[in-house]
This record gives sequence, C-alpha cells and structure tokens, in this order.
Amino acid sequence: MNLLEISDLHVSYDGIKAVRGIDLSLEEGEIVSLIGANGAGKSTTLKAVCGITPVHSGSILFEGEDIRSIPPHMLVKRGISLVPEGRGLFGRSTVEENLKMGAYSRRDKGIADDLEKIYALFPRLLERRSQAAGTLSGGEQQMVSLGRALMARPRLLFLDEPSMGLAPIMVQKIFEIIRTVASTGMTILLVEQNAKIALSMSQRGYVMESGKITLSDASSALLENPQVKAAYLGQ
Amino acid sequence: MEIFLQQLVNGVVLGSIYALVALGYTLVYGIMGLINFAHGDVVMLGAMVTLAVVHLLSGSGLPGPMVAAIGVLAAIPACMMTGFLIERIAYRPLRSAPRLAPLITAIGVSMLLQNLAMMVWGREYLSFPQLLPAATYPIGGASISFIQIIIIVSSSLMMAGLSYLVKKTRLGNAMRATSQNPEVSALLGVNVNSIISVTFIIGSALAAVAGMMVSAYYGIAHYDMGFILGLKAFTAAVLGGIGNIEGAMVGGLLLGVIESMGAGYLGTLTGGAMGSNYQDVFAFFVLIVVLIFRPSGLLGERIGERP
Ligand SMILES: Nc1ncnc2c1ncn2[C@@H]1O[C@H](COP(=O)(O)OP(=O)(O)O)[C@@H](O)[C@H]1O
Ligand SMILES: [Mg+2]
Repeated sequence: MNLLEISDLHVSYDGIKAVRGIDLSLEEGEIVSLIGANGAGKSTTLKAVCGITPVHSGSILFEGEDIRSIPPHMLVKRGISLVPEGRGLFGRSTVEENLKMGAYSRRDKGIADDLEKIYALFPRLLERRSQAAGTLSGGEQQMVSLGRALMARPRLLFLDEPSMGLAPIMVQKIFEIIRTVASTGMTILLVEQNAKIALSMSQRGYVMESGKITLSDASSALLENPQVKAAYLGQ
Repeated sequence: MEIFLQQLVNGVVLGSIYALVALGYTLVYGIMGLINFAHGDVVMLGAMVTLAVVHLLSGSGLPGPMVAAIGVLAAIPACMMTGFLIERIAYRPLRSAPRLAPLITAIGVSMLLQNLAMMVWGREYLSFPQLLPAATYPIGGASISFIQIIIIVSSSLMMAGLSYLVKKTRLGNAMRATSQNPEVSALLGVNVNSIISVTFIIGSALAAVAGMMVSAYYGIAHYDMGFILGLKAFTAAVLGGIGNIEGAMVGGLLLGVIESMGAGYLGTLTGGAMGSNYQDVFAFFVLIVVLIFRPSGLLGERIGERP
C-alpha cells in the first residue's frame, strides 16, 4: 500500500482551475520531486492534501484512508507536515517558540529531546534560540521552518520550495540537511522550481504544467529527458 | 499638588476599567483582524446582569460585598456565552468575506444588544446600589476609596493572569501563533476555530467584570452605556497599539489618566469656560492625535500587516 495516493484531484479557486485531475503517489520511505514552473499548481496540490484549500473532486488516501474530510489541524497528528512556501514563520516569536509550536500536537515526553536533536542538526539555531524568528536571514528562517516541521515527528513531509530566495551556498546547506532527514527513512515530497537539485536527490519525479502532471519517471531518467532539460534544466 | 494626586488616583481607576475593556478589542483584533464593535455592549450586559442579580438578592440579608460578588459571578458566564454566540453567529460565516462585511455586522450586533437590553431593562437610568463600604483612605494629601482599591487590585490581578495565560500556557502559545499565521497554526495542529472562540470568551469575561466595576463605581447602569465606554476602550487599544496586549493595558491606563487630568484642570486652564463635562472630548482628541501621528500606537507594529 502506498503511504499517499492522490487520484484524479481537481482544485479550483473561485472558478480558476489550479489543479486539473492529477494522480500522484508516494511509497513509504521514498523521496519524490514535484517540479514545474511558477503557477503550475504545485503548492495548491500540497495545500489540498493538507486540507487548507478545499478539494473540488478526486480522492486523497493516506495509509489507505480518505483524508479529504479531516480538518487540517487533525492531519499533523496522523503524521503529515508541511514546510510551507515562504516558510510561514511566526515572525514575532522566538526561534525556540517556533520550534516548540511544531510539537503542539504532541503530548509525549520526548519533546525536549527532539528540540536538542533539532539544535544538533542546526547549531546556528541554538545560537539564535531567543531571537525573534522574523529577524533571521532567509537561510536561517528556512532552518526554523524545517526544524519546526520535524518537531511534529512526521511520517510524510512536504517541502514547498525550500530553496526559494536563498543564496546558492545556503541552498547546498539546506539540501544537505534534507538529505540527512531523508536518510532516517522519512517519506518526502519535494516541491521545487530548482529542478536540478530536486531531481539529483530524489528517486522519482513528477513534472507539473498548468495543473496537470505531464511527466512522471525515475529522477535519473528525468534528468536525461530532453523536454525536461530544455524546460527546467536550462540546457 | 493634591488635585494632581487625586486626579492621578481617579485616572488610574478609570484607566484600569478601560484597560480591561481594551483587552477585549485587542485580543480579537490580534487573532482575526476584526474590530468587534459589539464589545462595549457586552460590557453593558455585564453591568445589567450584575444589577439584575443584585436586585434579586436585595431582600436576602446577605452582606453587600457578597451580593456584588454573586452578581459578577453570574455576569461572567452570561457575557462569555454572549461573546461566544456573537462570534459563532455573526462573524464566523463572514470569515472569508471582504473586511467591510464583518465591520457592518459588528455595528448591527451592537444595536441588537442595545435594543434587547432596552426591552428587558427599560430606557431609564438604573441606579446601582452601594454594596461596598464607603470608607476612604488618605494617601499623600489625596484620598482613595474602598471601591477604588478593589477596582485597581482586581483589574491588576486579572491582567497579570491574562499575561500569564498568553505567554506561558499551551493555549496562549496557540493564541499567539494563530494571531501571526492562522493557516500555519492549523497545519501544526491548532484548532483555529476553537482558539477564536476562546478569545471571544476571554474578552467577554473581562468585559463582564469591567461592566460590573463601572456601574458600581458610578452607581448607574443604562442600556447604551456600552457605546461611549466601548469607544473609549477602543481608543485606548489604538493608543497602545491595537493587537498588542501590553499596549491595551498601557493605553487604557494612560487614557484614564489623561481624561482625569483633563477633567481636573480644564476649568482652571480655560478660566472656567470649559468644565469637567468636557472630559469625554479628551478620549476622542487622543484618538485623532494618535491616528495622525502614530497610527500603529505606542507599542504597536501590526497595523497594515494583515492583507
Ligand atoms: N489563493 C489563491 N486564490 C486564487 N488563485 C490562486 C491562489 N493560489 C494560487 N492561485 C492560482 O492557482 C494557480 C496555481 O498556483 P500554485 O499552486 O501556487 O502554483 P505553484 O506552487 O506551482 O507555483 C496559479 O494560477 C495561481 O495564480
Ligand atoms: Mg508554489
């Protein structure tokens, strides 16, 4: 059974069709890329799965169960976390408050330990733990957003353009950490406009255009695909 | 100097009440960017329910302070329920409507509450009996009455409690997160609808106590008393920076003191041309000055941040 199975998903905003019948699935432990130009419908797809944007039709199965009617605040308990586009930090709260909010849905005793693990993963954040998150650099903010999502101990992690607006060196750093996270066996759906880096670290990839999936293949094959090369890799 | 000190005491008392009411405006604004113009009428309801219970217990022989306490303990849940229902019925269906819609609805709810109160309690000014000892205590040439002490102490305690709740508890974390980004808060497991309900309920509980205080202090209650009081508390919230909790506290106290000083000195300054009956003008003068020179308020930073 697939961990996530999206079939014939349609989503629209006030009549504008943003997602037009896509199929997408993720197996447990996989890292999958979803690439496509700005406005293709990638973020809308993630938001629909998370219950923030209403679904017009289609089905979304998580562990075989249809989750369309589950309100967004209940999904995190089931193991779905999103690192939203633009990071979505609580800018006036401190770094540590942001990270702790990531564990809001948890009641177990492991929260303090997990916080230490996040600080081990991002030593920069330990130095800045009492600083307002809004005052951090873009890369540091992305670390907070990623750390906050991990604090929920997700089984399925959605990353929406983690490289957006970051300097190349920071992109390398963030993706190194995503690799580390992936190596723990977490299932990841990586949405990126930076197709090269996304495909280089995923096993499979989907290409989305104007609300539809136009290609789906092994990442290595997509990297060699002439269409992908021309449209997304600048070659 | 005695006048100054006396007006300072009076101003702090008045300001404590403004602060409690201002917190209701600021909490709701902080969470959902809405100015709940019906909030002042919830204050009125707090006064009216307290008074109704006080009348009910008038022949019971219970001591005055106990009657007052029972009155306010009845008013608190009544106002909490009212605040909860206002949000559920009037504002929630308009959550994604253009911002003008809930604003107009808020004014409608305010008129509805006033008219209901007028039907139940009439249009006359109702007198609030003296339930607390009339004792006064001298402080440095001025004097402070028993009820003034009660108002200052109990509102300080409530504000300290609220600060603790917002800063240190799980509920408070969820409230602060929701006020900054409701969508992301939901993704992290916050039930945003319940947080909004709780925010209205907390604001309304503070309003109930403020309503009881103001009518006991001035010895009077009236179905439209919430209008001016609400407007002044809103001014206090804007003065402090709407959406900011410390701002509401500071703004409330400051407005109370400004008003009280104005009332105390206006006659002298204008050679008797204007008396303390111009007191109300001060609040709105302050509002206009703040809106011109510092629209985000003394401690505020939030205005314009929301789409
Ligand atoms: N909140 C919204 N309201 C209306 N239209 C939207 C909204 N969000 C996105 N869209 C539209 O939906 C389409 C898909 O957007 P999006 O999912 O954000 O694309 P991507 O993430 O691939 O850049 C675009 O045409 C965009 O303009
Ligand atoms: Mg996007």
